Amino acid sequence: MTAENVELVCPAGTPAALKAAVDAGADCVYVGFRDETNARNFPGLNFSRPELADGIAYAHERGTKVLVAINTFPRAGKPEIWHQAVDDAARLKADAVIVADVGLCAYAAKTHPDLRLHLSVQASASSPEAIRFYHQAFNIQRAVLPRVLTVPEIAALAADVPVEMEVFVFGGLGVMAEGRCALSSYATGLSPNMNGVCSPASHVRYVERGEKVVSELGGFTINTFGAGEPAGYPTLCKGRFEANGKLSYLFEEPTSLNTLAMLPELIKAGVTGFKIEGRQRGRAYVGAVVKAFRQAVDAIRRGEAPPDIDLDNITEGGRQTAGAYERSWR
Amino acid sequence: MQNPRAAQPSRPVDPPFSPVLLAGIALAPVPPRLLQPLFDAILSVVRRRHPGILERLADYPDSVVGIDPVDLPFVLVLEPHPQMPTLTVHRDFSDVAATAFIRGPLEMLFALSEGRIDGDAAFFSRQLVIEGDTEVVLALRNAIDGAGINLEDDFAATLGPLARPLRHFASVGGRLFNLLSRDMDMVRRSLIGTALRGTDAQSSRISELETELASIRRTLRNREHRA
Amino acid sequence: MNASVLPPAKLTLGPVLFNWKPEAWRDFMFRIADEAPVDTVHLGEVVCSKRAPFFDKYIPEVAERLAAGGKEVVLSTLALVMTERERDGVRDLTADSGGFMVEANDIAAAAALNGRPHVVGPFVNVYNEGTLAYLAGMGAVRVSMPAELPAATIAILAAQNLVEIEVQAFGRIPLAISARCYHARSRNLHKDGCQYVCAEDPDGMPVDTMDGKPFLTVNGTQTMSYHYLALLAELAELRRVGVNRFRLWPHHCDMVAVARSFREVLDGTLSPDAASTRLADLAPDAEFANGYIHGREGHRLVEDDLAIL
Repeated sequence: MTAENVELVCPAGTPAALKAAVDAGADCVYVGFRDETNARNFPGLNFSRPELADGIAYAHERGTKVLVAINTFPRAGKPEIWHQAVDDAARLKADAVIVADVGLCAYAAKTHPDLRLHLSVQASASSPEAIRFYHQAFNIQRAVLPRVLTVPEIAALAADVPVEMEVFVFGGLGVMAEGRCALSSYATGLSPNMNGVCSPASHVRYVERGEKVVSELGGFTINTFGAGEPAGYPTLCKGRFEANGKLSYLFEEPTSLNTLAMLPELIKAGVTGFKIEGRQRGRAYVGAVVKAFRQAVDAIRRGEAPPDIDLDNITEGGRQTAGAYERSWR
Repeated sequence: MQNPRAAQPSRPVDPPFSPVLLAGIALAPVPPRLLQPLFDAILSVVRRRHPGILERLADYPDSVVGIDPVDLPFVLVLEPHPQMPTLTVHRDFSDVAATAFIRGPLEMLFALSEGRIDGDAAFFSRQLVIEGDTEVVLALRNAIDGAGINLEDDFAATLGPLARPLRHFASVGGRLFNLLSRDMDMVRRSLIGTALRGTDAQSSRISELETELASIRRTLRNREHRA
Repeated sequence: MNASVLPPAKLTLGPVLFNWKPEAWRDFMFRIADEAPVDTVHLGEVVCSKRAPFFDKYIPEVAERLAAGGKEVVLSTLALVMTERERDGVRDLTADSGGFMVEANDIAAAAALNGRPHVVGPFVNVYNEGTLAYLAGMGAVRVSMPAELPAATIAILAAQNLVEIEVQAFGRIPLAISARCYHARSRNLHKDGCQYVCAEDPDGMPVDTMDGKPFLTVNGTQTMSYHYLALLAELAELRRVGVNRFRLWPHHCDMVAVARSFREVLDGTLSPDAASTRLADLAPDAEFANGYIHGREGHRLVEDDLAIL
């Protein structure tokens, strides 16, 4: 596997972010409709149908592909909302749709057999058998791997199944198997699978207590910050909790995934798509990260080592990790 | 769904010691209503050139967002009602029932609106403070970020023939501003450093009390379970 | 409620999710076989493959005793399958389950069971009619609902009349699964070299917020609720819309008595309130919740009646 066919797959939460990503050198951008059909259903985010049409035109003119994420699980009784999203993505000539639900995969494969189908990370396909099922049943062409596999496991997967592999290389790190986490709905009643949100803003409060600020989600204290300490968004699994008599970041530190140094290894393992997380981030973030990874991939193509680029000031908590790609993370 | 509360921001954010602060001090005697026409013009620019912003806020028709440029002696209140949006100037929030607040230095608010800095980074570093209904603030931030605003272009589009000299002035002014800011920051740090040390003792005592309280609660609960 | 008009309600004892001592697990199962009024009992390791070898040797005799007690035995697969050994384990079980039905807890296991009657477990995302129909087409005869589904969704799925629908009704709610072991992490260890510390907490390790409020529970690589699910007043309404099977997650308490309480409520001989009091006595440290079925936050205890439109 060479670096030639590696694609940089970049997030675009808004039309301005799409332009920033395309201009910074993305090979693909991934977007969602402004409704509950995608797993980044944040207030004021995502694309109306006309905005997506404009975005696709802008991207295609510059040789960039557009993938539409329709990766929540359709609600019983209202499948038409998700079916319409798939139909619209096909009509607008999106280059692929990214889907998680078995029933929706079946609909897309049957109704739009020529529409390229990517398997979302939300399907939690963590083994060759799982990916092979989706390939045989629905002809998926690419699978986004859950962020729980080590690099050797990814290499084994890529060798075993006739499907392109896409992995996350930068951004917010999920610690639970994606698409199989109900922590958010336990605290707030809203979940990634059902509503396309995790730790939703509607249930966030910041409360000042003396010099400290306490962040709460659904009434549960998630973290506290002293004067001058950077404050974080109270994503549930990034909080500090007490267990076994100790206070700690039990599930994960507030840190971002950054695999810049591991890109050559991932390419050797057979990965085709390098996915940057962050549809809910602003266009300044998107522009900076895409530019950095573009430089890195181009350097690798020239046979050089990826440059050491400082992304500290836009990562969560200013800290970074290589996450589950290293076995010691478990 | 969190109920919006008609609350006041609890504590002012320390404004950076910058040229804007000085300008703000100079502006202090000016009654806010004299500035209203400026903000009416800004809102009409937004409606004309960036209609997507209000469209994205259409899910929050009854929200009232308080914007506080902490280095200026007035505040703004945005009501993004789709049919009748308003952006009004006030001296402070005392007569306003806002459901959400954004507070930060003016330069930062400008930079955010242009996407020149990352909103999350600004928030994480606590230079930007949001309170109240986090959801509508997030919607506002996403709506503005998504619109791809360039303030100079907006001014140009509104001001026509004055645009070129004004844009030149804005860029010269901007460079001058940055130079002044650097020097002022040094002066500020030496002035304020001494004052900050006094508050540290008090806040560490509060931390101690809170830790003690949490531990007492835990002991009580364990005793209840054993009983 | 006139219990005789509806088809008989069935009780499932779910697989033990915790790492109990193997002999204690075996003896627990013997008592269930002899005394518990449950129709189906699940065996098998769902959470962490490192635990499986210790229980595997007791499964044949436990299965035999359960069958002798008139219980249907179902073998459950691992929820998160990643390593080669784990994949082999699932492949072996789905190829030859000794005549017992298998519960698929991930999509790959369901695919391996294609064409044969099987159960789809609550760790597979069945949220809508489309997916339900597809899995039924693959041979699923029973589907256990994900915990976060509201009653309205469950009613629509039951109305499809494609498979037997099962709803979780008792015990700590499985909320998430991970490659990382949080039990080990809480002792500054990793999954490799974990020293099986999860065995120290037979009902899971409680996790509190910074200000002392109980919030979650850690069970190895699994994260669960702190609160115990207890659906009692809701059972009648769920049966009315076609749900006739309920799952009890086993805990380290008198599960025979717990099962009896649910059995009596379903039979109409014990009121939900009285059953609630019994459960509180049987699990004295437990706090109860029923939010999910009412379409609310999972940790809430909702007093309103469940009314599915």
